[in-house]
Amino acid sequence: MGNETNILEVRDLVIRFSLRGRNLTAIRGASLSLAEGETLAIVGESGSGKSVLVKSFIGMLDQNGRVDAGSILFEGAELAGRKTEEDWLPIRGRKISMVFQDPMTSLNPLLKVGRQIEEVLELHRGLSGKAASLAAVEMLDRVGIIDPQRRAGQYPHEFSGGMRQRVVIAMAVACQPRILICDEPTTALDVTIQAQILGLIKALQRDFAFTTIYITHDLGVVANVADRVAVMYAGKIVETGTAEEVFYDPRHPYTWALLSSLPQLGVKGHPLYSISGTPPNLFREIKGDAFAPRNPKALKIDFEREPPMFEVSPTHRAATWLLDPRAPRLQPPEAIRALRAKYLEAEA
Amino acid sequence: MKAPDQAATLAADAALFEFADYDAGEGERGGYSNYSYWKSTTKMFLAKKTSLFFLVLLGALLFFTFVQPFVPGQRSPTTIFQDPATGMQFRNVTPGAQFWFGTNSIGQDLWSRIWSGTRTSLLIGLTVGLAEMLIGIAFGAVWGYVRRLDRVMTEIYNVLDNIPTTVLLMLLAYIMRPSFKTMVFAMCAVGWLGLARFVRNQIVIIRDREYNLASRCLGTPARRIVLRNILPYLVSVIMLQTALSIPGTIGWEVFLTYIGLGLPVQIPSLGNLVNEGRMIMMSPELRYQLIFPTVITSLITISFYVLGNSFSDASDPRNHV
Amino acid sequence: MSAVAAEEILLELRDLSIDFKLKGGETLRAVKGASFAIKKGETFGLVGESGSGKTTIGRAIVRINEASGGEILWKGRRITGRIDRELDLEVVRKIQMIFQDPMASLNERAKVDYIVAEGLYNVRRDLGEAERQALVEKALLEVGLLPEFASRFPHEFSGGQRQRIGIARALIMEPELVVCDEPISALDVSIRAQVLNLLSTLQRDKGLTYLFIAHDLSVVRFITDRIAVICKGDIVELAETEELFARPLHAYTRSLLSAIPVPDPRVERARVPIAYDPSLHDYSRQGPIWREVFPGHYVLANEAEAAGFGREFG
Repeated sequence: MGNETNILEVRDLVIRFSLRGRNLTAIRGASLSLAEGETLAIVGESGSGKSVLVKSFIGMLDQNGRVDAGSILFEGAELAGRKTEEDWLPIRGRKISMVFQDPMTSLNPLLKVGRQIEEVLELHRGLSGKAASLAAVEMLDRVGIIDPQRRAGQYPHEFSGGMRQRVVIAMAVACQPRILICDEPTTALDVTIQAQILGLIKALQRDFAFTTIYITHDLGVVANVADRVAVMYAGKIVETGTAEEVFYDPRHPYTWALLSSLPQLGVKGHPLYSISGTPPNLFREIKGDAFAPRNPKALKIDFEREPPMFEVSPTHRAATWLLDPRAPRLQPPEAIRALRAKYLEAEA
Repeated sequence: MKAPDQAATLAADAALFEFADYDAGEGERGGYSNYSYWKSTTKMFLAKKTSLFFLVLLGALLFFTFVQPFVPGQRSPTTIFQDPATGMQFRNVTPGAQFWFGTNSIGQDLWSRIWSGTRTSLLIGLTVGLAEMLIGIAFGAVWGYVRRLDRVMTEIYNVLDNIPTTVLLMLLAYIMRPSFKTMVFAMCAVGWLGLARFVRNQIVIIRDREYNLASRCLGTPARRIVLRNILPYLVSVIMLQTALSIPGTIGWEVFLTYIGLGLPVQIPSLGNLVNEGRMIMMSPELRYQLIFPTVITSLITISFYVLGNSFSDASDPRNHV
Repeated sequence: MSAVAAEEILLELRDLSIDFKLKGGETLRAVKGASFAIKKGETFGLVGESGSGKTTIGRAIVRINEASGGEILWKGRRITGRIDRELDLEVVRKIQMIFQDPMASLNERAKVDYIVAEGLYNVRRDLGEAERQALVEKALLEVGLLPEFASRFPHEFSGGQRQRIGIARALIMEPELVVCDEPISALDVSIRAQVLNLLSTLQRDKGLTYLFIAHDLSVVRFITDRIAVICKGDIVELAETEELFARPLHAYTRSLLSAIPVPDPRVERARVPIAYDPSLHDYSRQGPIWREVFPGHYVLANEAEAAGFGREFG
């Protein structure tokens, strides 16, 4: 949308990897905007490119990956061209921080937990010695670790999964970043811990006033945290909108398939709506809509030309030929109509 | 001009907005990836210039070693040559046109002796390597997979491991009279431990992975699980160990010969040749008798080490891009 | 979801306990006195969080883990401990397992046709090459894969396809009971529906009985007839699915139910999760026993708690 108050503006980003002599186009022209203070959830399955996309925001693409085209504007500064570690130092961990899925691999098993937070503070906030360790203990307290003074002197393996994730969050937030990216932060955790962690991130977001991006495939988490949702498929963003718009009025066939295949929305005794087949091979050039081969209601043009982003409302867009005025009118699947009906009923 | 074009385009587009035929099978074929483990391994292995060089070098050496007797004009390695004119033996002749590598102190042709010796040593190395592999894998597999025997076998391993290799080798070579079979037996007795331990450790790591549990659930006997589920993962590692053991064996052979427990003098081997050369190395004009066997031994050793390590790196799937 | 034929009990757990030896000589009691029965034709759900012991029970049923106490009965015959060859073979044929991680449950170095036919090599030695291949093809088609996949290796397939290969591998044995150990947790969201549909179709077509182990109650609600909830080795509640959701009794069950995220923003934002606090149970005067509080609805509770449930829902 090119709005001046957007903290992050991604335009037509193309990211490629060289793998075994061939090129894999992981991101095929993605565009995204992030408004300050909001919570955006990027939804997609494995192979959709969601992790690759956010890694490009902090310069953590693998060695064989590169940004081939497009731009990433963060607070007006271009991030797409940055190559060296030095270029990324002022951004990574300082202005844009990331929390990964598996806390055990994010933490150094040989360093005490307090020390790891201190390192972050020393590097980015210039604190040292007593000031750093006090601040570290305070951070541990902020993320809900009981008896933080004592716990700061322990090693990661002495913490449970949920506790470790809190420590990782403490490290990420210690420098008060402008954007916090959470890549599947609760997938490895039990359901009861999950709610606590999500609540923690929300509270911290209020206190520290940062913007959050969630990467997830769990639509329950999305429903819980997101103001806006972006749906990714095969390296492109296929639909964006507010959470209400995407859940109650989705327009892209992939979003339909995603929502209606959830067992939570299924009716016992009836088969779930399911998408057959597998995501496309990104080594090859994709003609038309990437989702077409798996879409039983695909139009002929879906195999010929890639659909542009059509606007449903100023906040809601979807890249599907079904929104073209010439396309036949298609009803979304039963499960989605039911969800929408429940919503409208409650709003009335 | 424009209106009909536009109308044509619009009409064409309208046709495109009809539903397409749906082929469910097509979607299934989508995710195919053509990665092949062995192809990638070979590619990575051959990509390094040093590997290629040593591969060619070792190949040439091995080839020539076994072909040499059939090349016309070769002499026997044990015959003592006499100068027909003087009736004297051709002792310590420096390398030249008649004897390419010269002769030794009793008049034997060094060129043929060296190749014969290389053949013998390589044969010992390969035999021992193969035997170590079979014994080591068998022991290691049982040790690693059969939980009940783990305790017992670990104790056996610890006892055997604590016996110094040198002492054991010397003991065995001393007790049994020196011969080709003695050397092979002695080195086998000592060398299989390392591989067994390695195989056992790998099996302990892999045996509880889900695919092995699945095999148990399907009723697959332990023997077949080890053979088809576990060993294929260990192939690259086993090959590395074997490749490294061959130069090791040759080294031991040289050592044993040095302390007098090697092959009998009549059988030329690299160990014997190096030893003979060592004894006269003080005279500068006779040094060639030491240099030639040493160079050949070194080339073989270095080649196996380099190739073994390259192969090990190349076969690690994490290194496949 | 399925017609429970004449209440025949296929599998029964009686006071099953499973211990693990830890380093340092200690024993961890992973499962404590579990008892339940699975009827022919039903889908029985076993739900718990990580470390609850649910996978351990599943593996004990297929004889991968050993029981330390109690027993498991298959059609009335004990299958824990040492059993004779003939019974062992029957267990291999009649009880099969589908594993959680499609990336770890297939032998990477073997072709798909060996993977799927592996069980046949063990129990149907009478089969010739051609007959075996025909069975493999049939099994692949039944799970929605193409027969041409038989000559390929697992790494050439996606997670969902690999999981289906695992299902084909189990089903080719013609089992009666299939233990599904978190079969969809490691799969992508849109693939889960595929696999769930496949599992129910196969159940209908072949009259299978499932033990469905999972941590996600919302998924379990969709496909199970009865659910047992397990918490740190103890089975705390057992009831028919809708009954469990309508009248959850044990505090742990209630906490679990309150923690499920719902993919509906309006509902989800209003949801308040209840944390489970084991210290809230007062077992100082009387310990809990396994009791039937409502018809077919069992709970681990003491007298006082049971009376409380009666009052709450009576």
